[in-house]
Amino acid sequence: MAPHASITAPDYRNIPHSHRLPSSNREVQRLFGKLSRSSLLSLAQQWLTKKNRDFCRPYLFSDQANDAGEETAAYEAAHSCEELIEIYKDMESRRGGRAEVRDRILEGDWRHGISMYQLATAEIQQLLDHPNALRWTAKRLAKIPNTKGASRDMEVTSESEHLPRFHAQTVMANLAKELTPLMKAHYLLTRLKTMPLTILRVYVHDSPYSSEASLASSNQSTDAAKAVYFIWPNGSPFVWISLATHLGQIVGEEARTLRDTVVSAIPKAFSRSNSRYQLVSTTFTTRKLGAMLVMRGSGKTNAAGGGWSIFADNSFSQNTLDFITTAKADALEKGKAAADNEDTMSGSKQGPGQLKRALEGPEASQADHRKRVAAGRFGSSAKPNDGRGLERFEVRIDDPFPTNVQQGGEAMDEDNARPSSRRGRKGRPSLLDRSEQEREELDNADNWCPDVRITFSGSHVFAGIRQLVEEGVVDGEKMPGWMTGEAGVTTGAVKNGRIRTKGSVPGV
Amino acid sequence: MSTVEELDNEIVNIRAQIANLQAHRSNLGSILLSSPQLSTRLEQRSASNDRQRRNASKVVKKQSDRNAENVYRACAGVTAYKVKDPDPNAVDDGNILGVRIEVSVEGRFIDTYHVLFNRPHPRHKTVLKIHKHTVPPCIAIRPLANRFLPMSQKDATTATEQDLLKFGRSLRKEIVAWHLRTAAVERLRQNAGLPDKATRAAEEQRKHPVGQVLNNFVSDGEEDSDEEERRRTRLGPVKIVAIDCDMSVSEIQVTWSDGRSATMKVMKDGRIERGVFRTKEGVRILDMSKRAIGRLEGLVERIRAS
Repeated sequence: MAPHASITAPDYRNIPHSHRLPSSNREVQRLFGKLSRSSLLSLAQQWLTKKNRDFCRPYLFSDQANDAGEETAAYEAAHSCEELIEIYKDMESRRGGRAEVRDRILEGDWRHGISMYQLATAEIQQLLDHPNALRWTAKRLAKIPNTKGASRDMEVTSESEHLPRFHAQTVMANLAKELTPLMKAHYLLTRLKTMPLTILRVYVHDSPYSSEASLASSNQSTDAAKAVYFIWPNGSPFVWISLATHLGQIVGEEARTLRDTVVSAIPKAFSRSNSRYQLVSTTFTTRKLGAMLVMRGSGKTNAAGGGWSIFADNSFSQNTLDFITTAKADALEKGKAAADNEDTMSGSKQGPGQLKRALEGPEASQADHRKRVAAGRFGSSAKPNDGRGLERFEVRIDDPFPTNVQQGGEAMDEDNARPSSRRGRKGRPSLLDRSEQEREELDNADNWCPDVRITFSGSHVFAGIRQLVEEGVVDGEKMPGWMTGEAGVTTGAVKNGRIRTKGSVPGV
Repeated sequence: MSTVEELDNEIVNIRAQIANLQAHRSNLGSILLSSPQLSTRLEQRSASNDRQRRNASKVVKKQSDRNAENVYRACAGVTAYKVKDPDPNAVDDGNILGVRIEVSVEGRFIDTYHVLFNRPHPRHKTVLKIHKHTVPPCIAIRPLANRFLPMSQKDATTATEQDLLKFGRSLRKEIVAWHLRTAAVERLRQNAGLPDKATRAAEEQRKHPVGQVLNNFVSDGEEDSDEEERRRTRLGPVKIVAIDCDMSVSEIQVTWSDGRSATMKVMKDGRIERGVFRTKEGVRILDMSKRAIGRLEGLVERIRAS
């Protein structure tokens, strides 16, 4: 579209860091409109460091000499990068609005355009400032079983690797090799130091040209998401995928296809001869990066959700050399067992407490009891403000419909009474829930299995359920385990009152 | 103003003192409760209040239980316990066997890992399955489980013998080896005179707020943006500026101030099997690669002697 002096021909290159988008580009405007003052200042200083100058060259006095006859601009061009660094340092030390910084960047020092590198770093900064802005899906890189070397997979030797080897440059090069024939893209791979994460941002440019002019001209359609994020938690087989969209943005079919192309290239980039990888769903989707870190991260908590969290945060067992039993924190210690035998617990802990509770009447003691039941079921998870909340949790019930409803409420221990423990819940059939294994349901036709789906949604689903348990709305002792979030999935099928799990070992 | 600050300081001091004394008190308390004669003395003496005596002996019992547990845990390294799954729909009435793995590095117990088993097969009561665990994903728990615990469903034909002992032992070996490798790399950093973890993280945060960009190849080598730092590296002796490793410590990278870099492959037992050393221009340095082979410990000394 845009005429360009040099010849533009389809090529096989990536978009380099230094290609620039005009400052008036909507994408640029939108992003810089959101960044906070401190983020903008720190970004500007980062761009001006020697290391990054090649990719983020500011508009300097010498440039002004070249474009002759230009009217006087709002900002005077600086003479050197050092001078600019001083200017931004000075701005950092005093107070002011963010518009001041934004205008200086867009209309002053980078009036000739924001480079791809700047756009990418700014967007990652935005992502770190607002970790709940994007919707993430966790996948796992799983090795495709090799028929020849199957027996070797079992062994754990001194050198065996069970995780895909993540060598940043190699993965990048492989990914680019897969994608360049199909589209032009800009890649930015960065390793965070504050969190054990490596982020890859792929800016998709749906065009056969990788030139600057084609970049600038193709951005007319604003509804297409341009960037795809991948995050690898260090030392884990997971990869988190997100389509970078801003609020309320509708993602077109085209953007989805492009995203899928990028996603399908990821396992290929990891594969080597004789060890091929594929992406496997882990049925986990959330907006909160904090929740992703806890449930699909590189730490201890992946396979110990819900009430089992006490095993991960060492509140179940004290340090081996901690002999002190008289400390106040005793109440937490038994944790899991608390739900079952809290009577003996409190008895051993504080004699006078029991007396006092008896005097306060049954209500107070019941509230206390419910609190302890909730603590037993949820452990240290599902706290209202822990930043790990899931905003959506869906299950499909595959259990046969309870035939003997009368008996339901009383005899909870019997097998056929189990489904009734859920009957009181407010179930809302959801069309969004996936139906993969409906054939299987048809198989056991001797029992009637209606297609019941339950969706919980809110800002922090499991904290909400915990609160309901504490308030006595949900019976904490009869509540099925999947309502505590211990399964660590956001979509699942419930059979026999338990979420079905694949594989022999959870969480890996 | 100064008086306010003084008062604040005083308050902080007093708070610290209180915390100190409380720790001391609970310490003394547990020592007193651990004294061997205490329980018999409690039984013999006729107390005025029987209820109080019961409470006292309960507290003593608790302390002695704790002592026994801790001694077992400290000496055995892998211990088992029973817990109950609160889920009303849990298999096998929620009976859970827990296995606890202690990790001690450099004279302290630094972490505890749990693997919780249930018995999913009502008929085969001895068949265990991993229900939950707190082992980080960089430890190969799945291959170990495949090897030592029979598969639950289809692999019944190729069923391996269930061997919980061997499973626990090899899992512990993996975990401890991982911690030892991590500690060894941390020691290497100390040997090389690099700042410790906390200051390093703060420094990195200041330098790269959006993380360290890994694919900016064009102007690599101009790593140090600070004028002063660059001067220091140019004039001063060549030294190691960074030692990085991946999460499972199977690979470590060393960077020198003169642009040399090295990547080494570390075995699980902490041996460096091979390494590639390159100058800034990308030329291999063969004699350094040879010298690097050996234990992880003392790597800095070996490659420094050049």
